[in-house]
Amino acid sequence: MSLDFALSKPLVDYGRAVKEWSATECRPYAREADDRHAPPANWPEILDTSPVPLGRVDKPEAGQVPDFDEGYWVTKLVFTESIGYGDIWVSPTLGSGIGHLVVESMGTPEQLEKWYEPVVSSGLPTGFALTEPQFGTDTSMVATTATRDGDSWVLNGSKIFCSSGASSEYVVVFATTDKSLGAKGINAFVVPKGTPGFVVTRPNEHKLGIRSWGTSALAFDDCAIPLENRLGWTADGSVPAKRSGQSGALGALAYNRPNMAALATGLAQASLDVAGEILAGQKAGFTPRRWSAVEAELTNMNHALERGRRLNYKAQYLVDAGKPDRALAAMGKGYSPQTCERVIRRCIQLLGPEGTSQDLLLEKWYRDVKIMDIFEGSGQAQRIVVGRTLMGRVAG
Amino acid sequence: MLDLEPTEEHLAVAELARGLGLELLSPAAREAEAEQAVPEGVWRTLFETGLTVPVPEEFGGGGIPDTVTQMIAVEGLAYGDAGITLAAIWSGSAALLLARHGTEEQTALLRELAGNPDSRAAVALYEGHGRAPAEFTTSISRTADGSWRVQGRKVAVAFADRADPLIVVGVEPETGKLRAVFVPPSDPGVVIAADGRGLALDAAPTATVSFDVTVPADNLVGVAEDDAVALANTVGRIRLAVAAAQVGTAQRAVEYAAQYATERIAFGRPIAGFQGVSFPLAEAQIRIEAARLEIAEAATLLDGGEYGDRTETVTRVVNYAGEVAAEATRTAVQTLGGHGFIVEHPVELWYRTAAALSALDFDPLCSSFEPAL
Repeated sequence: MSLDFALSKPLVDYGRAVKEWSATECRPYAREADDRHAPPANWPEILDTSPVPLGRVDKPEAGQVPDFDEGYWVTKLVFTESIGYGDIWVSPTLGSGIGHLVVESMGTPEQLEKWYEPVVSSGLPTGFALTEPQFGTDTSMVATTATRDGDSWVLNGSKIFCSSGASSEYVVVFATTDKSLGAKGINAFVVPKGTPGFVVTRPNEHKLGIRSWGTSALAFDDCAIPLENRLGWTADGSVPAKRSGQSGALGALAYNRPNMAALATGLAQASLDVAGEILAGQKAGFTPRRWSAVEAELTNMNHALERGRRLNYKAQYLVDAGKPDRALAAMGKGYSPQTCERVIRRCIQLLGPEGTSQDLLLEKWYRDVKIMDIFEGSGQAQRIVVGRTLMGRVAG
Repeated sequence: MLDLEPTEEHLAVAELARGLGLELLSPAAREAEAEQAVPEGVWRTLFETGLTVPVPEEFGGGGIPDTVTQMIAVEGLAYGDAGITLAAIWSGSAALLLARHGTEEQTALLRELAGNPDSRAAVALYEGHGRAPAEFTTSISRTADGSWRVQGRKVAVAFADRADPLIVVGVEPETGKLRAVFVPPSDPGVVIAADGRGLALDAAPTATVSFDVTVPADNLVGVAEDDAVALANTVGRIRLAVAAAQVGTAQRAVEYAAQYATERIAFGRPIAGFQGVSFPLAEAQIRIEAARLEIAEAATLLDGGEYGDRTETVTRVVNYAGEVAAEATRTAVQTLGGHGFIVEHPVELWYRTAAALSALDFDPLCSSFEPAL
């Protein structure tokens, strides 16, 4: 075998079906979702119109995302971009959490069986509670505490920016068991919804974009959970952790980073396609010189998106092949979202004042896309990861 | 189906080429530039690896690797020095063209090209002005008696004065087909104006060559009925090698600067600890990886069974790799500061090399000027 950059036909066909459906059936509700800070009220009926199975959480009988030869993570990448192509509101309704990825990364076999496998097969949303009011990127600063009290761990502290935190099956909470240990004292705990002391202090922030996504603030107020809810632990508390909580958190994020790049790419591709079609209808209004500049811009932007896709496909190909490479995932997420911001902005500029109107979705997508270069590791954090592969831990 | 796993052969070629690049080409880079010639021992060793003159085994060569593999070889060699690498690749590209498109009589020349390290050959290709092969203004027209008239002007023709054979690529105006013909460099209708020294890439002496010459019918490479798309894709492969050389140059420069940044102390710590230093290098590395993947995909398309002219794909990736390498080498010089500016370090050579390469096959349609700030 030699290299092949082409996806298999079944996966291409599936991705195209999802993309077309998302654009046709979901995109018309994009404005409404943005306005009401929630998915459209009839979202289950909208999902019913899909011609292909989507792996729905609310309706498992509608079918799982099919298995393709490429493997789970490459498939997920295709799926995520195709779903995002319609609009940003669709993804969370299908369960797009990342808490279970921490379980996968750090859990014992029993924990995987309890909290990872059911989620992967059902697509239930899982929350990831790491960020706190006083820190984001510097994950060694976790101040939420977990204190052993007999057969329980008792959590105290507050978390912010937890996607779907208010609606998840469970939230994986990062807390320190010993502040004197710094990053090494950080551990991950599974807190099921409804656990006493687990309080949603704010279900959704008021945001620049992705307004339809629940971005929750959570509080843990003497929240007691069983000993075996500490990832890497059993009820006896005796199993040594596979990796530290901080490293587990970052490892889980690394797998998902290309998906966030794919979501950004979906929005940018949608902007390019929408703008391209409108501009084609306005061709007569441009001088020939300007029109050829417009055409060259559209072409170059499409190729820029393709470059980002290659990086992300390579990263996820390696995950599927059992050889994950954190630097490649960082390259993909470092490349795509920022490029996608520029693409959408450029499309708006090419359309002129019309481009900023709420009659179109480009202004919304320009707001939505911004978070992609911030959450799950900012663009700066990706550069640190890549820089450290070049220069070691000394790199800033 | 998606397969991004390098084969054993890819890995072996990469290791071999990079080793040669570091141990053979890199130490010879300054001398090659100063002498405007690749040192003979270096040329011979490189020649004997078979990496640069692709000739089928039946003609005494080591076989023609697929494009993916050849680009891996070029990147690895250029990791040592792009100037020497491309001197050899350009001379070898005539063999590639003949092996793929020559008639039986013409392919007999391959024995000499594969067997004699002193042989030099050339493909007169580039015209500047952003022209893709189909837009070449060099015309190759059939005359009434069946011979071929070649008129035009080619730039950056390596080894033009001593090339045997010299192959000119142009367009037949009557059919729009891409054509390649043998032209004797000594013909009075061939005017060779040596370029002299340039910004870089002096290891291969280049010239601007003007043609107004008529050659016999059988000087056409192949036969008139041949598929012009196949020829365009061979030309595409020759052009793609420049992108691979850009990536090799850029990768070396970034690694060199990264190493320096971990050793150089300022304000009490290695300068790598400052994001003003580390981020530009990280960004350069991301872009290098993007360019490398784009080259690999273009190579698979050139190799692939699916029929089609890949010229646009090649133009795009050559231009992207050109920008990536020019910026990456600029970042490398900037990282070393004043030390990057002096010839005791090689980064100034890479800075010049990448800029020179970026101008070679530049198409203004592929990018627009973006101010640094």
